[in-house]
Amino acid sequence: MKYFLKRVIGTIPVLLGVVLLIFVMLRIIPGNPVVILLGEHYDQATIDRLTDLMGYDQPILLQFVNYVKGALVGDLGVSYKYSRPVTEMIMEALPYTIRLALMAVVFAWGLGLITGIIAAVKKNNFIDRMFMGVSLLGVSMPIFMTSLLLQYIFAFKLGWLPMTEEGTFASMILPAIALGWNSAGSVARMTRSSLIEVMQADYIDTARAKGLRKGAVIIGHALKNSLLPVVTMMALQLSSMLSGAVITESVFAIPGIGRLATTAINNRDMPVLQGTVLFTTVIVIAGNLLADFLYSVLDPRIRKGD
Amino acid sequence: MKKTTKCILGTMFMAALLAGCGGSSSDAGSGAAETQESAQVTSVAAEDGVVRIANIADYQTLDVHKTSADFTIPINVFDRLFEIVPTDGGSTEIVNSLVDDYTISEDGLTYDFTLKSGVTFSDGTPFTANDVKYTIERALTLPETVQTDIYASIAGAQELMDGTADDLSGVVVTDDTHFSITLSVPYAGFIGQLATPGAAMFSESITEAAGDSFGQDPAVTIGTGPYMVTSWERNASLTLEVNPNYWGEEPDVKKVIISIVPDPSTMSMMFQNGELDMLDGDELDSAVFDATYRTPQYEDKIVSAFRLATTYMALNENVEPLNDVNVRKAIQMAIDRQTILDTVYSGGGFLVDGIYARGLLGYTEDNQGWLQYDPEGAKALLAEAGYPDGFTMEISSDNSASSSVLLVLQIIQQNLAEVGITLDIVPYDEASWLDLRQSGEMPSFVATWTADYNDPDNFIYTFFGSEENVVNRSLNYKDTDVINRVAAARAIIDDEERMAEYAALEEKIVKEDAAWVPLFSRSHFYVLGDRVESFTPHWAGYSAYIYSTFKLAD
Repeated sequence: MKYFLKRVIGTIPVLLGVVLLIFVMLRIIPGNPVVILLGEHYDQATIDRLTDLMGYDQPILLQFVNYVKGALVGDLGVSYKYSRPVTEMIMEALPYTIRLALMAVVFAWGLGLITGIIAAVKKNNFIDRMFMGVSLLGVSMPIFMTSLLLQYIFAFKLGWLPMTEEGTFASMILPAIALGWNSAGSVARMTRSSLIEVMQADYIDTARAKGLRKGAVIIGHALKNSLLPVVTMMALQLSSMLSGAVITESVFAIPGIGRLATTAINNRDMPVLQGTVLFTTVIVIAGNLLADFLYSVLDPRIRKGD
Repeated sequence: MKKTTKCILGTMFMAALLAGCGGSSSDAGSGAAETQESAQVTSVAAEDGVVRIANIADYQTLDVHKTSADFTIPINVFDRLFEIVPTDGGSTEIVNSLVDDYTISEDGLTYDFTLKSGVTFSDGTPFTANDVKYTIERALTLPETVQTDIYASIAGAQELMDGTADDLSGVVVTDDTHFSITLSVPYAGFIGQLATPGAAMFSESITEAAGDSFGQDPAVTIGTGPYMVTSWERNASLTLEVNPNYWGEEPDVKKVIISIVPDPSTMSMMFQNGELDMLDGDELDSAVFDATYRTPQYEDKIVSAFRLATTYMALNENVEPLNDVNVRKAIQMAIDRQTILDTVYSGGGFLVDGIYARGLLGYTEDNQGWLQYDPEGAKALLAEAGYPDGFTMEISSDNSASSSVLLVLQIIQQNLAEVGITLDIVPYDEASWLDLRQSGEMPSFVATWTADYNDPDNFIYTFFGSEENVVNRSLNYKDTDVINRVAAARAIIDDEERMAEYAALEEKIVKEDAAWVPLFSRSHFYVLGDRVESFTPHWAGYSAYIYSTFKLAD
């Protein structure tokens, strides 16, 4: 328990550091949000008035302190472009991102684990080669290509599934597969190699020698021990998916966190960008903590070693 | 072997179970409410009287005082005192909208207006002259306002903005349907300004009660226009429905569903799949548009509209050697504009030789031929200016613009190379690009200005109307005499005299000073789906649709 408390406290400087970094970086890059807001229709008087109103010309340290103060009570500021509270915008986008991430993860882990286990059991025969070949395709195919291909074939040409997000389960299938495809490949390959390694250990022979069936040995002994590295990867995958899938969300018109962030970058909408980065940081840190936690559950030596 | 299979099957079963649980739990959670709502939207999509359209990005606000770009929804939800409509001849005219009649005093300063009677907002609140005064004062005093320009010429506007007065002295309300507006100086473009989307009329009681929610919450964003917003799911969709209390003719289209689709190729596929009833050609690269829609299948579904817009190249006179008039003239002569229009835009449009777009008041054909493609002449001028071997210059390109724009820059680069000028294309992201241009330090760029209201003032004043404007547009034009004349032209009461002055100024700036490199005016293409028979494009060619002009196929 003490170990986790220490880990959680350790994340505070990381969070502050990230906020400070994004704060400074956003102000170094050129692009006055007021000018972007006005587009082709701008004049000096309006630019000056709005710049003043946004507090964009205040000392950066003051802006930073005010921001951290607000963030502590859940107030992430107001969007320059949309004049709406950033917390509200993130909360609106979050359900879409969670839904997409969970479906993608179920798809990726389900497919990845199954093919990984089968490939390990059928090591070096045809099925193994085929599965690993396909998973290599999964790992190496860029996500925008997967997205466009899936959309073109299954939604546009065949018409089996909706083209864009409509709130229905069916409309989330293609985006989930597109987003989970890479992860499925990684999980499959990692599961296979890890399981093969464990299967060569002496205690597996012992388990077999005492009369256990091969299936029971795999499920009861080998799988649990081989999952350690796979679980770490899964936790990180989950947190990266929850931080928003920029391309998938764009192609399938899903109003999630990733789209919020990209729109904010283009508009130099600092409050929204800071909000989404802070949110993503929290998610990634939580993912790491979860991975550590699962590690210690699966392998108590880590806990004791502390 | 058998056992292994069993075990695998077991694992698969477990995984499937897990998948099922995960799927249903995520569904039953936060997303459930939207699931039902959106599913409904899809099922009524092809209903009678419904038009489905996609927009590339979500709308910033429905409050026109706070935006200078997102007008599509407000022009349908609100009315203005006047309206600009296209005429058959390719020009436009200003017609009365909320105004029934008006007179202008001899000195051009005082306008007496009579409002249409019986106009109400969609919730039944009557529209009165007090609302007009309120709307004008709000546009001038709201902290976030970007629409002060429209009303800045009204007497007392400056005092109200400075805070030295808390009432706009130039607007006097006599009764519910009568009011007058007095200007501080005569301004011929004033009625035109009142017809711009930013001059939409609000209700004092509704808008004040809504506070900051006005423009954000559709339920309290209420206007007098033909449509009202009935739902707005951020970043996903927006629905408009007919206003039952509308004072004008009931539109053919009863409901408009706008989906926010950030990916242009997704948008295009949705249109081809029949999920959209109209596609805006501006959202696709022109090469993609030509390949996909200029085909036998879609040819007769394409609507080509005139655009009151000028695409131009700006040269910064603070940058050597662009400060030399002969160098600027050489650049004007070196660019093969017809080839650009033909190759990049398949000839969709026409060349512009001045500042004003064709169809704009004050446009004459006298300027035709001011610019001639003449590389040899350009070389001679460069030699005369002391650059027989040419020079190197920079042009800034906006990354967010379509790749057609980049193609235009690349052809200009080739054209200039032929006369010895090396043009470096330097890319910027949109934000940096806009910022650099506004700072007055952008060496050169290509952009398009589209008319806000039909008057030459809208073009020439924006670029050459004040010393601030010439810096803000990175032109750094030096002739203060011309700048003062552009500003003064607004106040010429006699229209003929005013147009003559605008023509003379155009000639001075483009022909004599070569301070402006006009390129062309592109046509705006739209593709209609089978369910839409026709529609009237926006008079200036903006990607803003007036849904009441849509006629549905039977």
